Amino acid sequence: MRTRPLFAALAVMALAGCAADPAPHEQLRLSEQALEQAKAVGATDEVAELKLAEAKLARARVNMASESFRDARVRAEQAELDARLAEARVLTAKSEEQIKVLQARVDRLHKQLGEQQ
Amino acid sequence: MSSIKPLAALLLLGAVGLQGCASQRSEESLEQAAASFQQVKNDSSVLRSAPRDVIRAGESLGRAERLSSYWGSGADVRHYAYLSQRYSEIAREHTNLVLNQERQAKLELERQRLQLALREAKLASVQQQGKWLEAQIVSLATMQSDRGLVMTLGDVLFDTGRADLKNAANRTVLKLVQFLQLNPKRTVRIEGYTDSTGAPEDNLRLSRDRAQSVADTLIDLGVDEKRIQVEGYGDQYPVEANASERGRAQNRRVEIVFSDDQGRLGAER
Repeated sequence: MRTRPLFAALAVMALAGCAADPAPHEQLRLSEQALEQAKAVGATDEVAELKLAEAKLARARVNMASESFRDARVRAEQAELDARLAEARVLTAKSEEQIKVLQARVDRLHKQLGEQQ
Repeated sequence: MSSIKPLAALLLLGAVGLQGCASQRSEESLEQAAASFQQVKNDSSVLRSAPRDVIRAGESLGRAERLSSYWGSGADVRHYAYLSQRYSEIAREHTNLVLNQERQAKLELERQRLQLALREAKLASVQQQGKWLEAQIVSLATMQSDRGLVMTLGDVLFDTGRADLKNAANRTVLKLVQFLQLNPKRTVRIEGYTDSTGAPEDNLRLSRDRAQSVADTLIDLGVDEKRIQVEGYGDQYPVEANASERGRAQNRRVEIVFSDDQGRLGAER
């Protein structure tokens, strides 16, 4: 008799677990979008965060298929931010490259102006 | 029953132990996320450049901290700590980007200022040189050949074996820049050539370096680099026999091939 309330409690918790975690379709869409976006600006597998994002999204899809919606949501949320960080890193690296080119130009102009005088 | 009880106790201990390890890991990730958040929160340029990411980092961290007071919430704590950490990193990265863009804008302004100054300096030096130099030094032949409009910069504009364009080329170069500014759709291919003296690979490099040096000067004076192609042909395609000094001097040259007014260049050699 003593165990019955425990089972009941467990059952309620299990149900609550299910109720709290509907299929996170929207989150998966967001994560996919973030990954696309990162790739669009030129992120490749060489960016560690992009690799992470892809791996997590792949696992999230597996979780979706087996209806482990909680795990799917967690992984997809992380994948989204991993991808966004990858995108930001690529953009920063690109801007640094542009600054280098521009700086070289400016240096060359300074040098030419010096010779001209 | 008596044999089951110790087992159950062990299992219970094990569970508590695991929980302990897990909560220690949560504790660590929570601390790291909090430290990252503190750093971005106290950085005024991050607050200015990426306020939304900072707010989200704070919200996720708050959630992780609230959850950490519940037993058995370790995975959730780590999850939200992870998200917070990522938002902080994204905020930092966005800030770097904004700072870079600001620096780029400043450099671009400086570049324009210097281009103007250089153009003025070259004009001044041309006026000083007088006209006789042009005839003597610049072999400026423009002709309509089967390759389109071609302009030849003579050998005398470079020191022997060097790729730097001499100041004597200023007048020609300025004319070229002016022409390209008046004809914004036209592009050019700058081709370098040498005589047959010396090793072919040295000649190839020298011809390319000289062509590049002309291209650099045009870019420095404000011509968009997208409008310029650079080629080096070494001692190929001589215009005169390499037997005489005069012939060799004619072969050492940089040719500028112009596109038509729609930007279509003739094929490369």
